[in-house]
Amino acid sequence: QQLGREHQGITLRGSAELVAEFFSYGINSILYQRGIYPPETFTRVQKYGLTLLVTTDPELANYLNNVTEQMKEWLYKCIVQRLVVVISSIESSEVLERWQFDIECDKTAKDDNGPREKSQKAIQDEIRSVIRQITATVTFLPLLESACAFDLLIYTDKDLAVPEKWEESGPQFIANSEEVRLRSFTTTIHKVNTTVAYKKDPAP
Amino acid sequence: MEDLENNTTVFSTLRSLNNFISHRMEGVSGLATPGSSQSSLQMQYQQRMQLEEQAGQIHSKSQLLQVEREKMQMELSHKRARIELEKAANTNARNYEREADRNQELLTRIKQYQEREAEAENKLKEQMEMNKSYKKSMETMSKKIQEKESKLAEANETITVLKGKISELQWNIMNQEMQMTSQDSEKQELMEQLDIEKKKWQEASQQIQTLQASQSLLAEYEQKIKDLEQKLSQQEHDALIVKNMKAELARFPKMERELRQLKEENAYFREMKENNGLLKEEVEGLQRKLERYEKVQAQLVTVELENEKLLGKLQSWEKLDQSTGLNIRTPDDLSRQIVALQQRELALKEQNSTFMNSARMLEKARQQLQEEILSVQSQLLDEKKKREHQEALVRRLQKRVVLLTKAQLSQVLEEVGSHKQRAEMLEVEMKVLKSQQCTAEQSTVVTKEEVDTLRLKIEELEAERSKLAEENRSLEMKLEKLTLQGDYDPSRTKVLHLSMNPMSLAKQQRKEEQQQLQEECERLRELVRVLKGGGSLSGELEGVGAFQSPQEVAELKKQVESAELKNQRLKEVFQTKIQEFRKVCYTLTGYQIDITTENQYRLSSIYAEHQGDCLLFKASSSSGGKMQLLETEFSRTVRELIELHLLRQDSIPAFLSALTLDLFSRQTIA
Repeated sequence: QQLGREHQGITLRGSAELVAEFFSYGINSILYQRGIYPPETFTRVQKYGLTLLVTTDPELANYLNNVTEQMKEWLYKCIVQRLVVVISSIESSEVLERWQFDIECDKTAKDDNGPREKSQKAIQDEIRSVIRQITATVTFLPLLESACAFDLLIYTDKDLAVPEKWEESGPQFIANSEEVRLRSFTTTIHKVNTTVAYKKDPAP
Repeated sequence: MEDLENNTTVFSTLRSLNNFISHRMEGVSGLATPGSSQSSLQMQYQQRMQLEEQAGQIHSKSQLLQVEREKMQMELSHKRARIELEKAANTNARNYEREADRNQELLTRIKQYQEREAEAENKLKEQMEMNKSYKKSMETMSKKIQEKESKLAEANETITVLKGKISELQWNIMNQEMQMTSQDSEKQELMEQLDIEKKKWQEASQQIQTLQASQSLLAEYEQKIKDLEQKLSQQEHDALIVKNMKAELARFPKMERELRQLKEENAYFREMKENNGLLKEEVEGLQRKLERYEKVQAQLVTVELENEKLLGKLQSWEKLDQSTGLNIRTPDDLSRQIVALQQRELALKEQNSTFMNSARMLEKARQQLQEEILSVQSQLLDEKKKREHQEALVRRLQKRVVLLTKAQLSQVLEEVGSHKQRAEMLEVEMKVLKSQQCTAEQSTVVTKEEVDTLRLKIEELEAERSKLAEENRSLEMKLEKLTLQGDYDPSRTKVLHLSMNPMSLAKQQRKEEQQQLQEECERLRELVRVLKGGGSLSGELEGVGAFQSPQEVAELKKQVESAELKNQRLKEVFQTKIQEFRKVCYTLTGYQIDITTENQYRLSSIYAEHQGDCLLFKASSSSGGKMQLLETEFSRTVRELIELHLLRQDSIPAFLSALTLDLFSRQTIA
């Protein structure tokens, strides 16, 4: 199927799948790098020419799968604007980190049916550099001292019908934050910008 | 005729004789060849005979007679001869037969010999062939023999080698056998040693066993001693207990009285506690009220301050009325005034805006006018140039007119006239334009003032615009920062998440853990309090028991009850046993042994004459092994016995038994 995509170019559905796949692996990497779940619950897989770690915990995998499937649908309909990974302390419910993926969707792709010219390899290279950057951010992000849990927030258009099992939530800002922009990648239909915001260390 | 007949018979006998001889000759001449010569002789003989015959015939005739005579003789002789010849013939025949037989025999023999020869030849051939084959076989056999000989030689060599090896091996075997024998001898020695050791070991094990048996016995004796000591101590304890019990029993009525008193006090104290509880609640209520009142008071103070401020403000507002003179009494008037002012302001603003618009329009008009002026000026220049051109043309035409005389004069004049008209029109236009320019200049002069004011306003507006642009930039920066932080436009976006997300699950788990830990904490605190308080607070225990698991409490209660029951039973049993033992001792030994104080024992004899007669013994060692007699009134009466048994014989049992006997004898006598 991948060969077909390479020759045929990028369609709207193909782009939605690529972006949803990137989110799945990206979120797994974040959970592993930031130590939200113990490292022994992750296993290695090959993707984008890198060795990535994905979770083996069935509950967590099920949750990620649900979100990713829903994202695919909404990306196809071009009604999703942002995906945020919120990491907060379980004790104090204070938000410590925010990984924000802004999505710009070219709505004209819905109208014309012709696939866009961009090679799978180029997109993969871009995604690879983003994921490498995510891994590299560990060097400057502050340590997460207390036990943390994460939540996935999706910013959608106001008029979208809320599906079953989903509910509205607050944006969960960080009180005193420092933001760092990371690289972006584009499939010519969807463009994803990555930012990480973390709580500034209190002045010593 | 007889003669002829006789001749013929002679001739026939001659012929038969010749035939016989020829035959015989033929029979004899099997081997030799003289038979052929004999046949030729025969032929010659026959020829001769024929000749003779002829001669004979000739003679015969003549001799016939002789011959007949002779014949007769001859016949006789012939007969004789014939007989002899027959005999001879017979013998010859017999000889011939014999020789034929011999011939045949010889022939057969020859044949046999020939056959034998052939056979012998065949055999010889066969033998030769056999010989050849035997030779071949012999050769092969010889080769084989050679090979075998060579093999034999090799084998012999190997045999020698092997023999050497065998010899070596044998030597090795010999060595090893020697070693074996030496080792056997060693082994035997070791076995002997082993036997010795075994015997020693057996002896040692036996000794060990005996020692162990003795040790076990020792241990058992020690244990028995310990048991007995324990029993003794228990008995001492029990005796003490008995004493204490007696003392306690003595105290019993007092205790009952005290108990009654304590119950009364308890009831009183409970009432007091309840009252205390109620009072405490009242106090708490009152304290809370007090706090509230204090707060209210503080609030009152602040409110009074505010009130004063407000009064002051009101007064100032009222003074406003007086100061402004606008007939303001109530805030409604003020509001009305304000509204009116606002309306005026609005009107003014409208006016301002209209003025601004007019100013703009005027500016635009001015600009247009300026442009028109410029255009007019350019037109003017053009017109000027045109006029110059026209004047030049006019001059030329005039010249032409001068040159062209009367014939074209009218035309020329007309032309000149037309040109002049044009020139006049142009001049008129120019004048008009000049006048316009003047008016425009005038209007420009008029609107310059407006332009200045408008310029000022433009500068102000530009300053405002730059400020607004800066504000806009800063707001955009803030907005960007906020979007980075995650802000969104609520009218266009909403934030969704799954209800069952890891954060909420983690929080729930944390809450549940906390609740459980708090409950445990509470339980443990209650337990600690209860344990510190002591066991008499059974009511609280029960209350605590509600927090704890009821199973543990029930178990513990059961255990406690069972332990208490056991204790009681043991006490009863000990009491009965002690009493029994003491009675038995009394009846058997005749002495009642009482423990007066620690280590002091009082003995009263069954046969004592007086009630208070007793002996006092003191235990010098704690275990009660050695006893000393203490002085009593009774002991003074039995000094002789003491001297005899205790001082000399150093035996307390003897003393006691002697004393018993003595007292018994006294009793029976008395």
